[in-house]
Amino acid sequence: MKQTEGKIGIREFMAIIMLSVGTKLTDDTPMILFGTAKNSAWISMVLIALLTIVPIFFLFKVFSVHKGKDLHEVNIHLFGKVLGNILSFGMLLFGFAALVLDSATYVDIISTMYFTKTPNIAIYIVLLIVCGYGAKKGIEQIGSTAWLTLFYLKVTLFIALAVAFTKGNLKFLFPLLGPGSWEIVKTAGSKMSILADFYFIGIIAPMVKSVKDFKKGTLLSFIIVGCEITISLIIYVALFDFTSIEVISYPFHEVILYISFGFINNVESVFLPFWLVAAFIRFSFYMYLVLVLFGGIFKINKHQYLIPVLVTLVIFLGIAPKSATYTLPYLRELLLTTLSPFFFALPIVMWLIAKVRGDFKHEASAEKT
Amino acid sequence: MKPQLKKLKVLLVFPLLLVLAGCWDQVGLDRQVFVIGIGLDKSEEKGKIEVTYLIANPEVGTKQSGGAATNEPSGMTVTLTVSDFISMRNIANSVVAREISYDLLRVIFVSEELAKEEEFIRFLYTAEKDREIKRDVKLVVTKEKVQEFFKKNKPKFLSRPHKYYEFMINRGVETGITPNAELHHFFRITEEDANLFLAIYATNEITKDEKFRMNEMDSLAGGLKVKGNTNTAQFLGAAVFHEGKMIGTLTGMENRIVMLLNETFTVSDILTEIPDPFNEEYQITVRLMKNKDTRVTTELKAKPPRIDVTLPLTMDVLTDPGMENPVENKKKVEKLRKAMEKYMEEAAMEVVRKSQEEFKAEPFGWSLYARKEFKTLKEYMDFDWTKTYPDMKVNLDVELRFGKFGRQPKTPGYKGIRD
Repeated sequence: MKQTEGKIGIREFMAIIMLSVGTKLTDDTPMILFGTAKNSAWISMVLIALLTIVPIFFLFKVFSVHKGKDLHEVNIHLFGKVLGNILSFGMLLFGFAALVLDSATYVDIISTMYFTKTPNIAIYIVLLIVCGYGAKKGIEQIGSTAWLTLFYLKVTLFIALAVAFTKGNLKFLFPLLGPGSWEIVKTAGSKMSILADFYFIGIIAPMVKSVKDFKKGTLLSFIIVGCEITISLIIYVALFDFTSIEVISYPFHEVILYISFGFINNVESVFLPFWLVAAFIRFSFYMYLVLVLFGGIFKINKHQYLIPVLVTLVIFLGIAPKSATYTLPYLRELLLTTLSPFFFALPIVMWLIAKVRGDFKHEASAEKT
Repeated sequence: MKPQLKKLKVLLVFPLLLVLAGCWDQVGLDRQVFVIGIGLDKSEEKGKIEVTYLIANPEVGTKQSGGAATNEPSGMTVTLTVSDFISMRNIANSVVAREISYDLLRVIFVSEELAKEEEFIRFLYTAEKDREIKRDVKLVVTKEKVQEFFKKNKPKFLSRPHKYYEFMINRGVETGITPNAELHHFFRITEEDANLFLAIYATNEITKDEKFRMNEMDSLAGGLKVKGNTNTAQFLGAAVFHEGKMIGTLTGMENRIVMLLNETFTVSDILTEIPDPFNEEYQITVRLMKNKDTRVTTELKAKPPRIDVTLPLTMDVLTDPGMENPVENKKKVEKLRKAMEKYMEEAAMEVVRKSQEEFKAEPFGWSLYARKEFKTLKEYMDFDWTKTYPDMKVNLDVELRFGKFGRQPKTPGYKGIRD
């Protein structure tokens, strides 16, 4: 039995993207932007979103002539067997590194902000077993879980940010250009792979019901996620100001620790479970992507049997860095900076090759007949 | 297997999460004691402070123990000389039986003596490190040592300490006689390095000050002339911090003016006395409401730089001791308005002057308006707001609008009755 037989509709697809990319505003991604762009991080984010349109556009073009193929198959088709496999393997490495580093960051958040006495490895094991189980269940289940929980997760996030907004002051956004326009552009350019997930979703492209749904879903969720992250960056600055924001590691968690509803004080315990569910879905999805890609490259059909190995590998790599507090942000930043140029250029290269090979003409003539 | 069942199974995995809390971080409620307030005092030793815990007894006043009928006290204090209040959590266990929790921590008290030290921020920044200490904890400066303050403080009616401090502080903020001094603001303002932070000022040490004041609120905690057998602790006025160090105080009235001018504060209930323009021996009581935002424009290129502030206020006139009936006469209303605007502008300018000359920095949050004039942070830093502020020219304009004139606007004329 092949796990990937089922297809997902546009809403499940959108829910997955909105949860896996949208939750980035709750980890240390904002800190990476604030580090160099200070109070103008939101402008950087807008630039990143604008820049990301380019790779998404070309990716769409390529996928519209290669219906029913996933990213790996398209790679093989365009670059030939050897180069295509190398490319896909490179993607796999990046994806795997992102999975390890992001999950390690989440474990760090949980252990420093919530469960201070629990050993990291225990948190890691529980997190990854849950996510491994989710990944084993396949994209359909991840999709419907994401769709089921999306509303509640976004509503709680909205409440937290709205309360924070009322406590903040928008004047903190000034001076508008913060560290100077060059710094802002530089940050946007080097950190644009924050939205690189939009490249990796090509892996599940054939699992979405139709190419039209794939395009529409990607675009809509891209707009929503872009606005979401930008607005949250603005709210963080409005609450903490440019000096404090630099020393805060996890602004979202600092926000939910700070806010209170009238006489109810420790509200973080309300938000934590919702946030955790979002994290489960995010890593189930990441793990699934890695599995499908791995299965594609090495031609393994029953890739669900790889899950125990993958889970173990991620756990050991994730807890390997000693003193996670300063190694993790450094590694994550390194990964983002390295990935950025590839993320921007690859779809364009793919499109160019497709053009040279004449795939587009082929499609046009196919449509005529 | 049906797809619904599968979905259910995925959802069923989530309770696994409970395993996490159950293993290591779970602590039963009955195994913890809750610290309501932490007091910081200067220690003789360098690098050490005297930390005092104010621990509440959760059983006092609850239904299980039958109201206040228990013999146990409502709270206790523990004082130790330690390096910081995180290590204190273990050391204090030599006298306190249960695990010490900061989950319900509401107030951090600092003695004036320690707050005036350069070293003070080194100790306070510990609060940013501990996860249980929230950023909405309030900061109170006490005139005497915090240990003395706790010892003498015997709240009436509110025997449960956490309720007492919560109400005392919240009511003070509502009426504007004490500032809203959250740790969050302290860190933010200290790090931004342009403005003054105001902390609540409190004391149990009553000074014998018999000087006449037109408005009793125009004094500091300890100076209020109060009789009767109520609690001796007074919360009134503000301790002024610059760069994380206490540099002065503001009286209750000055604090109100700051809170009215600064848009980040909200004061909802201001009753104050203002000299009666018709009869100088008496004062009119008014209620001030701020319905619109303060308008601030800055002219930074001018020499000296200028700030124009307009403070729109709505005023309810609640008494009429002169029995002059200003409501009926347009001229009288106008006279009243002019006199009050003038009085309030003078009072506010006095605070501005104090900030420029005495503190050399401002608590009004005007630097935020100035920030808009700059393109980049570097330009703003180069302008150096703190350095330029003492020489700036401040124009203050109070715009009064009349609201209500009490329940019954008209009173019979004084002369008519005396006749």
